[in-house]
Order: sequence, then structure tokens, then C-alpha cells
Amino acid sequence: MGVTREFSADQKQLVIAIKGKFDFSLVQEFRQAYSHVGETQPLIIIDLRETEYLDSSALGMLLNMRKSLGNSVRGIQLINARPEVKRILDISRFDKIFTIS
Amino acid sequence: MKILVVDDQKANQIMLEGLLTSIGHKVHCVDNGQQALDVFAEVKPQIVLLDVMMPVLNGFETAPLLKELSGDVHLPIIFITALDAKDTLLRCLEVGGDDFLSIPFEPVVLQAKINAHARVRELSYSLAQKNKTLKWHSNRMEREQTIVRHMLHNALSENELDKPYVKSFLRSVSTFNGDLCLGKEGPFGNYYLFVGDFTGHGLAPATGTLPIAQAFFGMAERGMSVSDMATEFNLRLLKLLPDDMFCAALIIELSPGGERLTCWNGGIPDALVINRHGQIEHRIPSRHMALGIVPEEQFDSQVEHLFVRADQTLIAFTDGVVEMQLADDNMLGERGFEKLLADAWQQGENGFATVRDQLLAMMEAKQQIHDDVSLIALQCQRQPPVRTEQPVVHNHLPFTLTVTISKREVMRLDPVQELVDSLGKLDALKSHKTTLYLLFAECFNNILDHNVLQMDSTMKDELGFERYYLERQRRLEQNEHFCVEIVIHYLPEEEFISFDISSNGLAPYSPKASTGKASESNEEALFGRGLQLIETFAGKVEWRAEGQVLHVEYDLSRPPF
Repeated sequence: MGVTREFSADQKQLVIAIKGKFDFSLVQEFRQAYSHVGETQPLIIIDLRETEYLDSSALGMLLNMRKSLGNSVRGIQLINARPEVKRILDISRFDKIFTIS
Repeated sequence: MKILVVDDQKANQIMLEGLLTSIGHKVHCVDNGQQALDVFAEVKPQIVLLDVMMPVLNGFETAPLLKELSGDVHLPIIFITALDAKDTLLRCLEVGGDDFLSIPFEPVVLQAKINAHARVRELSYSLAQKNKTLKWHSNRMEREQTIVRHMLHNALSENELDKPYVKSFLRSVSTFNGDLCLGKEGPFGNYYLFVGDFTGHGLAPATGTLPIAQAFFGMAERGMSVSDMATEFNLRLLKLLPDDMFCAALIIELSPGGERLTCWNGGIPDALVINRHGQIEHRIPSRHMALGIVPEEQFDSQVEHLFVRADQTLIAFTDGVVEMQLADDNMLGERGFEKLLADAWQQGENGFATVRDQLLAMMEAKQQIHDDVSLIALQCQRQPPVRTEQPVVHNHLPFTLTVTISKREVMRLDPVQELVDSLGKLDALKSHKTTLYLLFAECFNNILDHNVLQMDSTMKDELGFERYYLERQRRLEQNEHFCVEIVIHYLPEEEFISFDISSNGLAPYSPKASTGKASESNEEALFGRGLQLIETFAGKVEWRAEGQVLHVEYDLSRPPF
């Protein structure tokens, strides 16, 4: 349960994994995970493989992240979403503003 | 010694018996060859003194038959003969006799010959015993190896190295492979690959296969991350293997669309990502210690993500490949292998087959390999597999469930998650868990925020996202006596579930948006998508009892995604 973050060896990727439930109870943990991205303009990868539950507050947190990171990152990818989770992202049109793979 | 005397002359029998008995041997006398054969099993002689000229069956005829009866253990036969002709003596040896003694003879000569042959007999006997023991052990070992082979075979029965996008070439030095290559598709169409090389080869390292294979298949099935796999495998081997044994390993995950590789390499030669011309575009070097060495708290599970294209192929191999001996006794080496790879890929479609054939030719030329050899090619072009949905039988009882949630529950745990976790235990609802959570969570929060806590949607814009939730938390702590009631109806026959949420809140609430269709919302908008989501997933949403009750219906016959 919770949020883990890990930079790649070359500092070019920051992988944030969210396990279990993704909602406003993670709001601070999640914000901390993408703070201090450094000067390397990393690619942010949100690994949703173990995200089982999410609600609209999670969507809000993702949008918040995008807004606050702006150009300090190379891009944001949402990866490994289960089909059920992916459908929620698709219906919310997140595919237009994030790369979902 | 037990000595059988075969002679038709009573006088000789008496003379020999007397002589031999006096020096401590046991003697049994018979009159001819046939009698000798008849008593053989009973008397079990250790040495035979055989006359040549006898009625019924003479010595020359008897000797080979006695030898045959004696089987694996050497039975010394000494011919006793009055004939002194050279031909006769030669014949004695030809038919299987071991020695001869011409009458008359000095007793001391007989004694010396008996002693010498007794020693040979002893040696032969102990050799036969040892052979028997050896055979027993060898049979037992063979049986045990068959059992282990069977177990390993079963443990690997789930292995999915036979996918159309995976090619493999595996050879081992002994029956048991110290290299371990595993593949498995994950739940979202991702593909996992494990290439391992245990220290040594043969049975001992092969037993490490069992725990790794079990963990690998289980974790792949659950779609766990490469980093979690590395941590788990390391822990298992750390507990299991002796200190001087470990497993170099490469763990790879290919994303469902084939656009991304996630890698952890501990001690395996650089895995290569090559393009269609065999040129190396990425290297995945070993950045970690092999599995089974580093204690849990110091273990580094950091992975690398690589973005790849459909025309690229991942090449993974163990050091057996680069240590392959060439005709000039030099090793193939990493450079040599990379050149082999490039040349083969440039020749066209069947690059892998070409490389495999060349490696096979090297093995054949040398007649042997020194280390287990594993080579895998994983093509980065993937079609997400078509999910075949198992038809879910709604074989449950219909029910109505009332859940009352007060402040105590809200502060202590996440009531919605608890509720959905419980509902998800029913097979028919399991695959709808994520969607049901979304519906329950949105509705519950709506009721709690608006009816109970009197939060206004516009506050989100005014306060901003995080401060809205802080304010919500503050009001929650101050409000002592609220309660929210959820009444769930489940009708398995109709594949239908509905719920009504209400509260003892003061203000009836009915947002304007719910009266109309979900508006074309701006994707960038931070708020207001909750209701839109409910309306998309639910069959029906309506406010009842003048905004006191939120009623939601959900059709379970629709696929959850």
C-alpha cells in the first residue's frame, strides 16, 4: 500500500508506483514523490500495476502533478494500468494529456 | 577353503582328502564331472581339483560348465593329471583350467598352489561384492535423478518460452541445467523473462530452480514489478543456498504494447537490444550483485526502463555462450559473439537460427561444452493478447445489505474500501471491484461532503485541491454525530446491483449537473469529473426523497472494461 519512488541509475527516469488504493489519502505522499525532480528533466513514469482502486480525487492528483511539474520534466507516462483502471482513465480523456501505455 | 575333489580313483580321493584336510581345508569328493555339477550348488566349492580322465563327463567337458555355474566370481580349477603330455596340459588351460598338477606331486607344491589360487578367489569375490554395491548405488542414484528430473519438469510446466515472439537455445553440460530460463505472460499482456546462471552445474544448482520458478510464475501471474521480483528471489536464495552458491540473473519485463523494457541485471553478461540489421542500440549491463549474496536490507532492486521499437530484439545470454571454445582454443568472447549476431541478422529473417546453428557447430567441433549455454531472443513487437473472459456464473444468493457508517468507522478505516473488498469476495462481483469502488467512493464522498459536511463544490476552486481536503478533514473531526447509510440490493439472476446512500445530514442536496447530461468537460478541469464518471459507469443515477437519497444502479452483465 502506498507510494514508492525510484530514480533510474542515469537519473533520467523517475518511477512512481502506487499500490492498492489511489485516492486523496495519498495526497501528501504522492506530492512528495514527484517533488525534487532535479535539473535533469526526467521522464516521470507512474506505474499503476498494483493500483486496484481509484476515484476522481486520484485523477485530480494526477492533473495537479502535471500542472505543478510543467516543463521541469520530459513527460509523464501512466503505465501498466489494469483494463478496469485504464477504462476510467480513458473515459476521463486522460489519454489526451498523458501517455498511457 | 571349501575344495571339491573330482576323481574317479578312490585312492586319489583318499590321498587328496587326507592331505588337504590336514592343512585345514574342507573337502568334498565326487567320482565324475556330472556328480560335480550336481553337488555344485549345495557344496559351493571355492576351489576345484579336477581329474581329466573320468567316466560320464570328463575333466575337459566339466571345466567350462563349472566356470559357468560360478557366475561372476572366479572359481579356480586345478587339473590333477597323470598324463604328462604337453598337448594335454595345453588343453587343460584352453578349456578354462587355471593350473595343473601332475601326479605324482610334492604335497608342498599342492599346498602352495591352493594358497595362490585362494588369494585370487578372494580378490575376485571381494571385487564381485563391490561391484554389486556399486550397482545398487548407481541404480538408486538413477532412480533419484529420475524423480528430481520429474519434479523439475513439472515445476517448469508453466514455462512460456514457446511464445511466437520468443526464441531460445538452451544446452546443458550434464542432465541437470545450472542455467535457468523462464518466461511468462502477465495479467495485462506484459511478458516476463528470467535468465539465471547458478554457480556450478549439475544437480546441486538445478535444485535452486524450484524456488525461483515457483516465485517467478506466481509473481508474473499477479503482474508484480521486476523490482519486487528481484527482491523476492534474492531473499529466497539467501535463505536457501549455502554461502558459496549464488545465481547470476537477468529479469526483464516487456510492456504489453512492446514499447518498453524494464530490466534488472545482476551478474549476467550485457543483454543487448539490436535492430533489424543486428546493430546494437542499447546495452543492459550488470549493475548488481548476483541473487543470493546481498542481505535483504542492503539489496538494491533498482531497475532500468528502456524504450524500444517493434523492429528491435532483446538478446540475453549466459556466459556459456561467450566462453564457447573456438577451433583455435580461443574463447568466442563478447566481441566475437556480437559479430556473429550482426552477421547473422544481416543475412535476413532467420538470424536466430543462423546463430544457433553456428553455436551448435562450435560445440560439435569441440565435442564438449564447459558450461551451460542459454541464449534467448525476445522480439519487442507485441500484440496485447486477446482476453478471453471466463463466463461468470452468478451462482450466489440474492441479498439486501444495510451498512451504517458513523464517524468512528470513517476515522478508523476506509469504509468504502472495506465494503468493496467484502463484496469482491463473491466471484460474480470480483471483476467489477474497481468500478464498484469508483461508484461507491464517488457517491459516498458526495453525500459526506455535501449533505453532512456542507462543503460546496465551488470551494474546490476557491481553496484549491489540497486545502479543500484539509478543510474537509477539519469539518469531519468536528462533526460528532453523523451517519451514512448504504443499502445494497443484489439480484444474481438479473445480474444487477443497486445501492441507495443517505445520511442524517441537515441539508438535502441535489447538484444541478445531475439533472442534465454530463457536459463536455474540459480535460484540464481539476474537479467535477466525479459525477461524470458515475453517470458513465452506472446504468442509472438519481436523487430521490428530495435530494436525501442517492440511488445508483449497476448492470453486472456489462464487461467491467
